[in-house]
Amino acid sequence: MTLSLSARNVVKRYGGVVALSDGSLDVNAGEVVALIGANGSGKSTMSKVINGVVVLDGGQLLIDGKPAHFPSPQAAKALGIATVFQELSLIPQMTVADNVWLTREPLGAGGIVSRKMVNARTEELLALFAGTFKTDLRPDLPVSELPPDEKQIVEILKAISVDPSILILDEATASLDSRQVQRLFELVNKWKATGQAIVFVSHRMEEIFRIADRFSVLRNGKTVGAGMIKDITEKDLVKLMVDKASVFSFARKSGQKDEKPVCLEVSELQTRTLRGVSFNVREGELVGIGGLQGQGQRDLLLSLFGDIPFAGNVQYNGEPVHFRHPRQAMKNGFALVPGDRAREGLLYIRSILENMQLPSWMRYGFPLKIGKAKKDAEQTGASLNLKMASLMEPVSSLSGGNAQKVVIGKWLMRQPGLLLLDDPTKGVDVGTKAEFYALLTQLCDEGKTILFYSSDDEELIGLCDRVLVLHDGHIKTELVGAALTKENLVSASLGVAEGDEQ
Amino acid sequence: MKRFRMNSLLTRRPALFALILLVLALIINFILQPNLFAGDTLNSNMRVFLPIILLAAGQAVVILGGGIDISVGGIVSIVNTILAARVGLEGSTEAMWQYVGISLLVGALAGAINGFFVAYLRLQPIITTYATSFLYAGFALFILPNPGGGIPASIAELYRNTSPLGLPLAFFVIAIVLGLWWYIQSTRYGNYLFAVGGKAQAAYETAVPVTAVQFSTYVISGLMAAFSGIAITMLSGSGNADIGSAMTLNSITAVVIGGTALSGGVGGVAGPVMGAITLGLIQNIVSFAHIDTWWETLVKATIIVFALAMPGIINLFRRRE
Repeated sequence: MTLSLSARNVVKRYGGVVALSDGSLDVNAGEVVALIGANGSGKSTMSKVINGVVVLDGGQLLIDGKPAHFPSPQAAKALGIATVFQELSLIPQMTVADNVWLTREPLGAGGIVSRKMVNARTEELLALFAGTFKTDLRPDLPVSELPPDEKQIVEILKAISVDPSILILDEATASLDSRQVQRLFELVNKWKATGQAIVFVSHRMEEIFRIADRFSVLRNGKTVGAGMIKDITEKDLVKLMVDKASVFSFARKSGQKDEKPVCLEVSELQTRTLRGVSFNVREGELVGIGGLQGQGQRDLLLSLFGDIPFAGNVQYNGEPVHFRHPRQAMKNGFALVPGDRAREGLLYIRSILENMQLPSWMRYGFPLKIGKAKKDAEQTGASLNLKMASLMEPVSSLSGGNAQKVVIGKWLMRQPGLLLLDDPTKGVDVGTKAEFYALLTQLCDEGKTILFYSSDDEELIGLCDRVLVLHDGHIKTELVGAALTKENLVSASLGVAEGDEQ
Repeated sequence: MKRFRMNSLLTRRPALFALILLVLALIINFILQPNLFAGDTLNSNMRVFLPIILLAAGQAVVILGGGIDISVGGIVSIVNTILAARVGLEGSTEAMWQYVGISLLVGALAGAINGFFVAYLRLQPIITTYATSFLYAGFALFILPNPGGGIPASIAELYRNTSPLGLPLAFFVIAIVLGLWWYIQSTRYGNYLFAVGGKAQAAYETAVPVTAVQFSTYVISGLMAAFSGIAITMLSGSGNADIGSAMTLNSITAVVIGGTALSGGVGGVAGPVMGAITLGLIQNIVSFAHIDTWWETLVKATIIVFALAMPGIINLFRRRE
């Protein structure tokens, strides 16, 4: 079944907040259309309008040229519109197979769900991604036990099990490693050839240019441009997304740091996922941590911050340290920007001021000198170009990129010596990314040391002095200078690098 | 990567904890009361346990679906007072069965009222059903202000002495309940129930009819409360508008020790049924151990607190590793 859909002048409000003021999108059979925009520009809302999760307040949906109305997700699903949700639509307690076939279970006699068929059909779907799993992914495992990338794949399989006429991929590659992305793109090209329409929502320019045929750009809830991908350059696309053309170029690494003293020495660090990791970091260095997802990068940062228990020796500025609580790490000038901003980084319903000052309140005496706290927070906010109505607004009123600035800001207020960053640009719009890159470079120039994990290889290559590539709990390779290329990084990530083998 | 964990064991075999407790309670009870498994004792025990078993089965369905029903005791009271006040000690058998039918309708209706508030108006289940529990208890008092009334002695006798194949009647009722549950959880509706209780937003995005499923769980619970009310009326033979008030907490305790998570989406009905039997046995143990009856409340409360704390305790030890 093929289908074409167009959304015309769509309006969607959440309470007083206008998420979409004039959104338009055309989706035609047999093509991949990239839905692009900065955070908070209305991409997710647009996809939720198309799949019936939200009901639009204005504008029109046309299916094959005829007006249509989706009062619920059921209506859209019946037409073959399937979605890979950014936040995943999986039930953690249910098995992989039950999740994939939920609402479309093959039934046997008396309406009893045929477990055999459910499992067999799930096996067939899993075969599409065979060879890219790190664990033994079986249909009868509860989803809650899977690592993030496999959850993401199950979410993708769930959507394509519908054999959709329109498939919406909302940030579907965010948790996937390069091999899995490659496989997904092969499949997308295959589906395209059979007449399916694919809506690809992503922040990653490289992926958009690899897979999309057409693009549609949203800015502040308005569609500001659309066209063929082959007719536009990356720079022009970014210009459309952000008002001012703050095209990012990576500030190249700033010269020699060899003469600076070593400030962080880690030897034989072990946790449940790390099996003995050793490295040194010099003062003012920006050291990247790379590799596929879930190779122990998160554990490395968390254990240094005293968040999870570990074995091994850590020396900071010549002193042995072994933090058992983040409080101790904070006292020593460590800061951690965690990977899951919503859960670990922010108190969403509380104000920007409270979030910014959360680690620093003890400096404001008793009773709290609110005036001074506000002034300091204001200052940090301004230096980060934080766009907010007021300090008293809840963090939930901010877009993703601005919310991440609050996370970084709250640590910068403490003047940290060592920053541990866990994928800080995940789900952040390009404009803000460029600001982050400039900020990181500036911080290093000021003598702060940064340990930076990123799932985006381009970032690591563009920004870092060196990159430690983790594989299966070990440092597989250290890439420096001329060796720091995309090719080397990818092959080391996959564990096939020659040389430096440990 | 090791996939076998305590947690996943409890997720896949939620009734395991209930079974262990049940066996433990059986052993202690057997030591105190050696004729526990004799036909008469078994029969009299089971007919006393049956009302809570039925109530717990309905409660389990609501809790699996992510809600909770505090009003089940009120529904039991309504059914009890309807039967006792309308049928009467001198009533005919026909009148009894007629009012049994009416009771079931009333139970389903009371459940539908809960379901309407929770599923369609999206009110907090715990507050809403707590409020309706007073509504129902008040209605029971309206029907029968003072304890009294009753049902024909022949019906009470029937409940007491029916033992097909020499086994207690309750065994057959339990078998029907478990059979029905097995069927329900094997159907698509069963999957919907687990999905809605597990993560309602994700279920909605997957086009599961979330509101209808939530509504249905309260109707089922109301219906099961009506069955429970009928059973307890046949057991006691008389009416009392306060009869159900103590049963609500028991039904929730049975569900919790039956391994069905209060957070929803995990568990089943078999565990809660075993949990309800365990609660009854504990009552027996307390009375046979010749200790003051107030111990019973303390023991039951300790069990529910312990059962609630169990997942946390497992987690604590895992963190220490």
